[in-house]
Amino acid sequence: MSNPHKSKNSDLPRYGMLIDLDRCVGCHTCEIACKIENDVPLGIWRSWVKEIEKGKYPDVVRSFRPTLCNHCENPICVKVCPVNAAWQREDGIVMLDPHLCVGCRYCMSACPYEVRYIHPTKGMIDKCDFCSTRVDAGLKPSCVEACPSSARIFGDLNDAKSEVAKLVATKAVSTLKPEIGTGPRVYYIGLDPATMEIKREAKLVWEK
Amino acid sequence: MGKVVFDVQYQTTLAFLISYYFYFTGLSAGSFMISTLSYGFGMEKFKPASKMGVVAAVLLLLLAPQFLLMQVGWPIKSIWNHFVYFNPLSAMSYGAFLLMLYPMNSVVYGIFMFQGNLKMTKIFGLIGIPLALAVHGYTGWILALGVARDYWNTGLMPIVFLFSAMVSGISMMILMIMVRDRFFTKEKTINHELIDSLAKLLGWLLVVDLFLVFCDYSVLLYSKLEAQEVAHFMLFGKMSFWFVIVENLIGKVIPMIIVMIPGMRKSYFWLILAALMNMAGILAMRIVTVYGGQALPLM
Repeated sequence: MSNPHKSKNSDLPRYGMLIDLDRCVGCHTCEIACKIENDVPLGIWRSWVKEIEKGKYPDVVRSFRPTLCNHCENPICVKVCPVNAAWQREDGIVMLDPHLCVGCRYCMSACPYEVRYIHPTKGMIDKCDFCSTRVDAGLKPSCVEACPSSARIFGDLNDAKSEVAKLVATKAVSTLKPEIGTGPRVYYIGLDPATMEIKREAKLVWEK
Repeated sequence: MGKVVFDVQYQTTLAFLISYYFYFTGLSAGSFMISTLSYGFGMEKFKPASKMGVVAAVLLLLLAPQFLLMQVGWPIKSIWNHFVYFNPLSAMSYGAFLLMLYPMNSVVYGIFMFQGNLKMTKIFGLIGIPLALAVHGYTGWILALGVARDYWNTGLMPIVFLFSAMVSGISMMILMIMVRDRFFTKEKTINHELIDSLAKLLGWLLVVDLFLVFCDYSVLLYSKLEAQEVAHFMLFGKMSFWFVIVENLIGKVIPMIIVMIPGMRKSYFWLILAALMNMAGILAMRIVTVYGGQALPLM
């Protein structure tokens, strides 16, 4: 009874994504496609593109960091969820069970990537699920489908012939915060460390 | 280095309601421990505080979870699901059971105490000590196991929470005993000896609490970048007024000085002031830890 989502089965795909930032043009189309596909309310994003500007004229550049749930191999959110609402499918997709979630927000504060949000009308957590319904129907996630420069590549990491597995195996890829030991399965090519800078100040809730 | 053109703001998740919840469970655990000092451990001088301590512990622990229920999106569903879908890896999962067991045990303990059954009082008091430690310690574990936040993710967190619980509990007991003795007893006089022992205990626990804060911050400042940034945010940044002035200076250092100087400790004016300042400081500590610990965006 305690965990309704547990079952063991190997020989399944392990879905992952590779984001080639050499191809990314920072158009934010993935953001919009995600919002439309998943009916994400205003002010909240399942997937977004952080955009920074660095350097001094004439040597300036804009760097992008598309962010989404990393569908970790060892997800913290699944460990900390008190009611087993955060769970992981056998193919690696980290899901949220709306029948179990009570909106305690513990997973939000425990996620190192800050990709979870509280749904303003449902009062429970929501997050990227790699468009699991589309994946089950044999389609690609909507952000991948919408990307005009094909910067997002989605596929089965266990299948050595898939494009994503080949690229992860042969290119210099990096992940976000590997030191936490979550084992993220969203890989980046050409990730700019400046897009991951830690801030020293924050706007406090009682400030206008 | 870079200037942010577009980023998504993190929704602050565990804020004031959770701070109040931690504060009231802390007060409850602290006052329960005071009540067990005489019946559980035979420290007779604390006996006049025992009955008040157990009543306060039960009432505060009935109040505390209300803040938790206000915080979650689905209060009724959360009560049911916490018991039915137990996740052994989650510290919060154990909380639901502790929040049931601890007040039930405290009620039984209190009933035996009021009946004058010393043996049963001792047994249930000693069962209650680990429960009180657990019910407040687990709140520290909740934060410590939220591994994303370097401010929280330290083994000291449960211990810091326990000590702040005890100091705020003692301050509250000092105030409550003074009011009871002065206005609600036949003699209308305050029990000097009891108040003095409690104040001495408060002083030494404050020393330990300040030492724990020092340990925590010295490690944060030498640790990896994220930890350094959050320590700077607390010590010199926007949170510094709440952390340095309210929590540590007003809440801990000044009360410690007052109760350490015998002349000031004996004066009720200074002692009441110290207890009030300490209670306010511990409330600030809860808000600084819960809200301040996650105010900085992570990436």
